[in-house]
Amino acid sequence: MKLQRMRIEQLRQFRKPFVLDNLQPGLNLIHGPNESGKSTLVRAIRAAFFERYRSTAVDDLRPWGDSAAAPTIELDFEHDNRAWRLTKSFLQRKRCDLVVGTESYSEDDAEEKLAELLGYQYPKRGASKAEHWGIPGLLWVEQGTGQDIEQAIEHAGDHLKSALNSMVGEVASSGGDDLIETVRSQRDILLTGTGKPRGDYLKLEKDRAQHQLEIEELKERVHKYQEQVDRLGKLTQDYEQAEAERPWEDAQRHLEEARARYQKVERLEQEQNQEKATFAQQQQNHRLLQQNKEHLEGLSRQLESRKAELDRAEHDLSVAQAQTPAVTGRLAEARTAYEQAEKQRKLSGLLQTRERLEQDLRRLEQQQQVISQNLAKAREYQRQLEQARQQARENRIDSELVKKLRATGSQLNEETIRSQTIATRLSWKLDADASLTLNNEPLVGQGEQQLLEESTLVIPGVGTLGITPGGEELASTRRKLKALEENLEEQLKTLGVESVKRAEDRLSAFESAESVVKHAEDLFKTVAPAGLEQLVFEQSEAESELEKARKQLESTPKPDSNETVPTLEEAEAAFNQASAALDKAESDERAHQSRLSALKQARDNAKTEWQRLADEEKSPERQQQLRQITTDLANLEKQQAELEASLERREREIRDARPEFLRQDIERYQNAVNQLRQTQENRGRELRDIKVRLEAWGAEGLEEQLNEKEAEFDQCNRRYEELHRRAQALDLLLHLLTEKRQALTRRLQAPLQKNLNHYLSVLFPEASLEVDEQLRPGTFSRGTELGLITELSFGAREQMGLISRLAYADLLREAGRPTLVILDDTLVHTDSDRLEDMKRILFDAASRHQILLFTCHPEKWQDLGVPPVDIQASKELGT
Amino acid sequence: MPKFLHTADWQMGRAFTRFETEDGAALVEARFEAIETLARLANEHHCDAVLVAGDVFDAQTVSDRTIRRVFNATKGFVGPWVMLPGNHDAALAESVWTRAQRLGAVPENVHLALQPGVISLEPERLSVLCAPLTQRHTYGDLTAPFNGYETPEGSIRIGLAHGSVQGLLPDEIDSTNPIAPNRAEASRLDYLALGDWHGTKQIDERTWYSGTPEPERFRNNEAGNALIVDVSEPGATPTVTQLPTGRYQWHQWRETLAVQSDLEQLLERLNTLPESAVVDLRLEGSVTLAGEETLLKALSVAEARFRSLRCERSGLQLAPTDEDIAALKADGYVGEVVESLRDRQEDAQDDSARDALAILAGLLREREQEAGQ
Repeated sequence: MKLQRMRIEQLRQFRKPFVLDNLQPGLNLIHGPNESGKSTLVRAIRAAFFERYRSTAVDDLRPWGDSAAAPTIELDFEHDNRAWRLTKSFLQRKRCDLVVGTESYSEDDAEEKLAELLGYQYPKRGASKAEHWGIPGLLWVEQGTGQDIEQAIEHAGDHLKSALNSMVGEVASSGGDDLIETVRSQRDILLTGTGKPRGDYLKLEKDRAQHQLEIEELKERVHKYQEQVDRLGKLTQDYEQAEAERPWEDAQRHLEEARARYQKVERLEQEQNQEKATFAQQQQNHRLLQQNKEHLEGLSRQLESRKAELDRAEHDLSVAQAQTPAVTGRLAEARTAYEQAEKQRKLSGLLQTRERLEQDLRRLEQQQQVISQNLAKAREYQRQLEQARQQARENRIDSELVKKLRATGSQLNEETIRSQTIATRLSWKLDADASLTLNNEPLVGQGEQQLLEESTLVIPGVGTLGITPGGEELASTRRKLKALEENLEEQLKTLGVESVKRAEDRLSAFESAESVVKHAEDLFKTVAPAGLEQLVFEQSEAESELEKARKQLESTPKPDSNETVPTLEEAEAAFNQASAALDKAESDERAHQSRLSALKQARDNAKTEWQRLADEEKSPERQQQLRQITTDLANLEKQQAELEASLERREREIRDARPEFLRQDIERYQNAVNQLRQTQENRGRELRDIKVRLEAWGAEGLEEQLNEKEAEFDQCNRRYEELHRRAQALDLLLHLLTEKRQALTRRLQAPLQKNLNHYLSVLFPEASLEVDEQLRPGTFSRGTELGLITELSFGAREQMGLISRLAYADLLREAGRPTLVILDDTLVHTDSDRLEDMKRILFDAASRHQILLFTCHPEKWQDLGVPPVDIQASKELGT
Repeated sequence: MPKFLHTADWQMGRAFTRFETEDGAALVEARFEAIETLARLANEHHCDAVLVAGDVFDAQTVSDRTIRRVFNATKGFVGPWVMLPGNHDAALAESVWTRAQRLGAVPENVHLALQPGVISLEPERLSVLCAPLTQRHTYGDLTAPFNGYETPEGSIRIGLAHGSVQGLLPDEIDSTNPIAPNRAEASRLDYLALGDWHGTKQIDERTWYSGTPEPERFRNNEAGNALIVDVSEPGATPTVTQLPTGRYQWHQWRETLAVQSDLEQLLERLNTLPESAVVDLRLEGSVTLAGEETLLKALSVAEARFRSLRCERSGLQLAPTDEDIAALKADGYVGEVVESLRDRQEDAQDDSARDALAILAGLLREREQEAGQ
């Protein structure tokens, strides 16, 4: 739909005709300052479509104070390749004409045609309101309402869906939503939200269960009743049979028989007991007589045993007496052996003492001899020592000085030799008669002299020759030599010797004497370590000890050499043995004596006893008694035998009668009688009870009640089944209807979402805006931000509102519906950056839709790329 | 020339399930009326006696009121009645009979055959050989002792028993309470009056089941009659006349609908039934929406007309035709739902789908009607 031209007259401030011409198929920017009529133009377009031409509620269109005005709007537009002209006048001249191509419509027809084309409706009466505006309400944005997208979509609701029908292939249903509501309300009468029974359905379910319970109860009672009837039948039969047979009488007869038999046995048992008592008495008597007889007969037997005892005692005594000499002999022998062993032991002790003394004597003699020898040696060593000491005293010389002397001597020798080598040698061989004087000393014959000093040789006849030995050393050598010679002389003098050799000899003699002294001293010490006096004392000590030992030996008696004497150890052992043997013999003898006296006592006692008994045995009363007892016993034994036979006979009789069984029989028959009577009585009682009970129960008509109850249950169940099926069916139907409807919505959602995303990506890359089932923009998400549109800032909501409307426009256009977008001073809360994006969006949308943008801020929209239309200018142009 | 009325299986005290309360009450009432009818017929046909061959009562514990009403209903005929305990009202130690006696409800002219033996109706020259059930079930032939029962010279020997004649009745192999098929002949009976089988049935020329006088089940077995038996003299072949006594006729139809004409035929047949009918319909197959509308309308009319009408339609599928759907203006997704329900109904034999389809069709029809007004 493309609006091409618009003309208004007598409408608010446009009292004169005003024409807006040359409207472009895309973007149209229409501006004018406040009060210039911009809003009036928007109102005029709305009025032309929305208001009934005959409406009386459009006074706002009237120019102020002009009651005769007929506000008129004329619109030329193109749609579906046809030219449309709408002319609408209000108030004073109510009229509406629509020319589409060659067809003309007027009044209501024209208005219906328009409403159908654009998708809106007229109010039944009064002014058109937002809820009537339908699709144009969504696309034509009034000043300051751009953000209120939800309401607009709601109002567009059904128009939108039917407009979009072609897109989704005729799947929407006329009145389908009402149908869903009807089904839902009918379902909700029977079922809760979660599908549980409610209301009548629920009540029936409970009633049904209650009926079932009651039926079960009744059945149980009927069952009990029948059991009781059966019991009654059985009991009656038993009772009558028992009454006819009277089994307890039989039992009674048996009881009495058993009692009679038992009484008889009881009598027998009494007799038996009496006889048993008699028998026991006789036995007692017999035992006493027997005892008496045994006592009397026992006297002779005792006498014999006493005699035997006496004989035994006599015999024992005589045996013991016969042993006496042997015992005494053994004691004497032991005593002799003891004395002999004691003697031997003493002798051995003496012999041993002597041997020890002899040994001591020998040792002392030897000791004394050694001491004497040592003493002699000590005296000899003493003498040698004195001698050596004398020698040492004579030759004493200081060895250190001798050593020094020896060194001086050898130094002098060395110097002498050296001087001779460096001295001037004067050798001569003179004729036998010739003589010379050297240094005043005559030289004859042959010789040689070394000259160390200036010398004068006088040759008689010839004169004197001076000789001066050469070399400067000669002088010092000569001086040294001289010093040494003096030194040697000094030393010799100190030592008191005439030569070095002599000194050496003396030292040697001294040292040798010293050595002898030492040796002698050592030897002396070996023999007399404590000195000579001590040794002498020791000698006299030994001497006196020896003397003492000799005397002791002499005083000790000398044993007889003929006798063999054992060693002391042997003698000791033999003695000990003999002593022990003696002790034993003595104790044996004592034991023997005491036994002997005991045996004597026993023999005396036995003899007394025997005598006493022997006297008694012979008494005549005893003989008489014995005879009497023997007779009594014989009588008694005969009686007993008879009694025993009788007892045995009766015992057998009792046993054969089985009294214990008879007792049991009595008990059994007694019980049987009681029990049989009791049973019958019980039967009678139970019969009466059951009869009474059955009469009461029967009166209730249980089975008839059950029948009726079952009928009631059946009805209730039938009704329940009906409701159950109806509930299931409604639930299924509702489920299917909503499912299909949702599927439809989803088919519409997708293209709308696509268009919305197209615009949103320009405004907020990375953001998304979800379309909900009512086709409303719902959840907005940007990065981590997530929320509903209504939670956004006013500016953002306005922008979202606009792009949503454009998305709807795209969707409608795709469905082949007319789209005209009118924006009245929109986006006033949008900052310049965002406005830039919105301009791109608008420019893009304008390539598909005609957009009329009314504004009082043309400077903001300069870069929209379209020539702005100035209302003020057009108005002036018009005039 | 003794003549008597033979009846059995009154089953008094039975309540009817599967019916509306009101209908059930009417059916119960009809059974009391049937006794009165029997009394009337006995008078009309100058019968000497009425013999009831067991199951007078449906249960042992019926209400006192029912007991009294049963005996009251016999008052119309003052001649002797002989009532035999059957398997439902066996003569147990305590039974509906002992209760009736205690209540003093049994009129003097009503003889209760509580013991096996002969009841001699001297003036009428009738000897009734009775084989009452004294236990709920027996497995031996209770009529066997008939052979040994002696009856006065010149009187008619009539056997009265309750049970299954061996080898003649269907579905009763090993059944309880057996009766030898040649009992009448073996025991020299002039007539053997039997109960237990609810339809009127002749076993041989002397042996009959009278059936129940008022039908009480759908199985079609000749119920609702009484027999007038005329025995001219001992040993003569009895003349048996069957008289209708039932008030209501019970019909049970199982129908499969496939094409439109099936439905039409069914409705025509339904129209021909009398108003005293008790009808149980079970429909299967399929029906169009239009067809179902017709059916529902016809059933609604029939329900009002008959004593009772019950129709089970859960096996009857709804098969909306394209015309049906067009008529309902089920467009868009509602059309899809109709389609989907139809598929489910066919594929899964889904009752819910069938019902849902019916509900949806109903709603759409209502909407159309509203729109039409």
